[in-house]
Amino acid sequence: MIIEVEGLMKHYGEVKALDDVSFSVKEGEIFGLLGPNGAGKTTLMEILCGLRRFDEGKVNVFGLDLVKDPYKIRSLIGFCPQETLLYDLLSVRENFAFAASLYSLSSRKFKERVEFSSKFLGVEEFLNRRVQQLSGGMKRRANLAASVIHDPPIVILDEPTVGFDPNIKREFWELMKALKDHGKTLLLSTHDMYEADEICDRVAIMDEGKIVALDKPLILKKTIGGEASIRVRVKDDQVEKALKLIDKYNHIAKDNEVQVFVANPWETMPEISKKLISQRILTEKVEVVEPTLEDVFIKLTGRRLTEEYK
Amino acid sequence: MNPIVGIAVKDVKTFFREKGTIFWTIAFPVLIMLLFTAIFGRDIPFNANIGIVNEDGQTPITDAVISGLNSTGVFTLRNFTDRNEALRELNATNVRAVVTIPQNFSFDLMFTNHSKISLVVDGTNPDVARLVEDGIKNFFTEYYKMLYNQTYNMTYYEPITVNAETSFVGQRIGYKENIVPGMLCYPLLFSSMVVSTGAIVYEREKGTLKKIRASPIRPINMLFGKTLAALFQTAISILVMTVLAVTLLTPRLNWNVSLLAPIMFLGSMNGIALGLIISCIGRAPQEASNAATTIGIVLQFFIGMYFPIEYLPIYLQQIGRVIPMTYAAQAIRDVMVRNAALNEIVMPMITLTASATILYAVGVLLYKRWVEKE
Repeated sequence: MIIEVEGLMKHYGEVKALDDVSFSVKEGEIFGLLGPNGAGKTTLMEILCGLRRFDEGKVNVFGLDLVKDPYKIRSLIGFCPQETLLYDLLSVRENFAFAASLYSLSSRKFKERVEFSSKFLGVEEFLNRRVQQLSGGMKRRANLAASVIHDPPIVILDEPTVGFDPNIKREFWELMKALKDHGKTLLLSTHDMYEADEICDRVAIMDEGKIVALDKPLILKKTIGGEASIRVRVKDDQVEKALKLIDKYNHIAKDNEVQVFVANPWETMPEISKKLISQRILTEKVEVVEPTLEDVFIKLTGRRLTEEYK
Repeated sequence: MNPIVGIAVKDVKTFFREKGTIFWTIAFPVLIMLLFTAIFGRDIPFNANIGIVNEDGQTPITDAVISGLNSTGVFTLRNFTDRNEALRELNATNVRAVVTIPQNFSFDLMFTNHSKISLVVDGTNPDVARLVEDGIKNFFTEYYKMLYNQTYNMTYYEPITVNAETSFVGQRIGYKENIVPGMLCYPLLFSSMVVSTGAIVYEREKGTLKKIRASPIRPINMLFGKTLAALFQTAISILVMTVLAVTLLTPRLNWNVSLLAPIMFLGSMNGIALGLIISCIGRAPQEASNAATTIGIVLQFFIGMYFPIEYLPIYLQQIGRVIPMTYAAQAIRDVMVRNAALNEIVMPMITLTASATILYAVGVLLYKRWVEKE
């Protein structure tokens, strides 16, 4: 285990941001922290990067104590926050040079790392362009490359794809997988269940500062997500009518979508469809869906991942 | 690359590409220098419009009076035929004084040795009024002496003569020699303080401080890097002002670089440390930035940059004396005007060193406290 967190507590005044958080990360895995906004993911990551202090608990990275050896630990971590932290007036290469200087990289090593970034992180085409001239996607790629310019064994990414369109998101997932293939250990936070499902080897689900479940996505879905469910999507003005019909089933509704949890979804689906048609309710979609990490979250917390804390 | 150098190089590169910062560091001092050159770069730094009403008509004596007043270079004369019209212009502040040469002025002067001149001065600006009045009175005293000498071929004696002498330690200086050392304090006060405040504030605002703090660089090294860059930028500002001062004003001053350089360094360090403190105290980046500019503007009146601190009321002089920049201004002036040697500026140098050390230490502690509060 290269990251070990034990009984971590952090308060902001009266608010408990982290409540007895414990987990460990294996070398070479992509470890995801999944949870809605305000669950404590960013606080946890910033503590690991030495940006915030914690009240109680223990954090070890490569066997080093975060309190005793903060600077040694920082040199082993590449931190990629959700904002693009590059200097607009400098070129991408100059930004890399600055990032490298923070880690006292030799010029030979710097050259090697720029070559690596050019090749594997696709920054070659805009290496000499000023950051202010880059598109959003280019900036995020350069941001990631700058975070790993010192070749750290651990990369911490805070919501790395938030705000991306699906194509760029997928492209970014490939970059993260490429980093894993190069032996890096990745710890990332996300509130995107597909992202967690797609790229994470293990996922810790966080809610209100606590880890409520931790395992491989597949196991979480099988053990907690339960059986498949029926998803019904109706026209906006017919939601109330549809809910009256579905009321007798165990369900969760959001906007014009209702998710119905039954023991035998494949048999119940035609029955629900028939009822909707007989009441002349216009449906956009009625389908059986396999459980997702969102279902796991709903089962554990009774809320959706996208819901904000009240 | 060493992280301290890395931060300094990054800041310097950003500085050269940031138009706003370049303006503050280079263009603004240039504007100030051009302005002061226009004001103080002349041999006679004062000129006022004077109205002349000659009721005595054209005589050799009135001609001599008018051409004499003209040739002083202190006054620009406007001739009026009507005294009331001249007074109307005075009320409109188009002329600062009206000199009326009365009828029979020449006759009385030649044959009775007693003649009067009427002088009405605009009192709305006491300083200007005093200068104009003194100037005109002195002119007529001197003129009368000359006339007396020519007429009687003998020396005129005033009942009491005050022989005034002025003592100059070093060389006699003019306005521009007086103002240039003060102007060279500008970068110490503004460039260093604004640049160092901006350097931290910019990182805070942009969020890039997070990235620096997540790296293994220690806070003190980060501040050293920022200080190095701020020193470089202040040095550029000083260099620009010096070159302009030499070329535009050609002041007769002593440019003892071996003494001026350490004074400038210590003065800049004080400004940088002050900027560092402001950047940590300001809750919002914009607040810190505005505070630095405002403090710079206020301090310039206390440190003897443009006028001696003796111009200030006593209680404000006391404030001026606890501001480190005052000692930088004093030491620069001593070296440049009086050609002071090292042993003569030891006290200001010690004061500057002590204050820079204390202020910098406070800045570092505040920065560390701010980081820990996060």
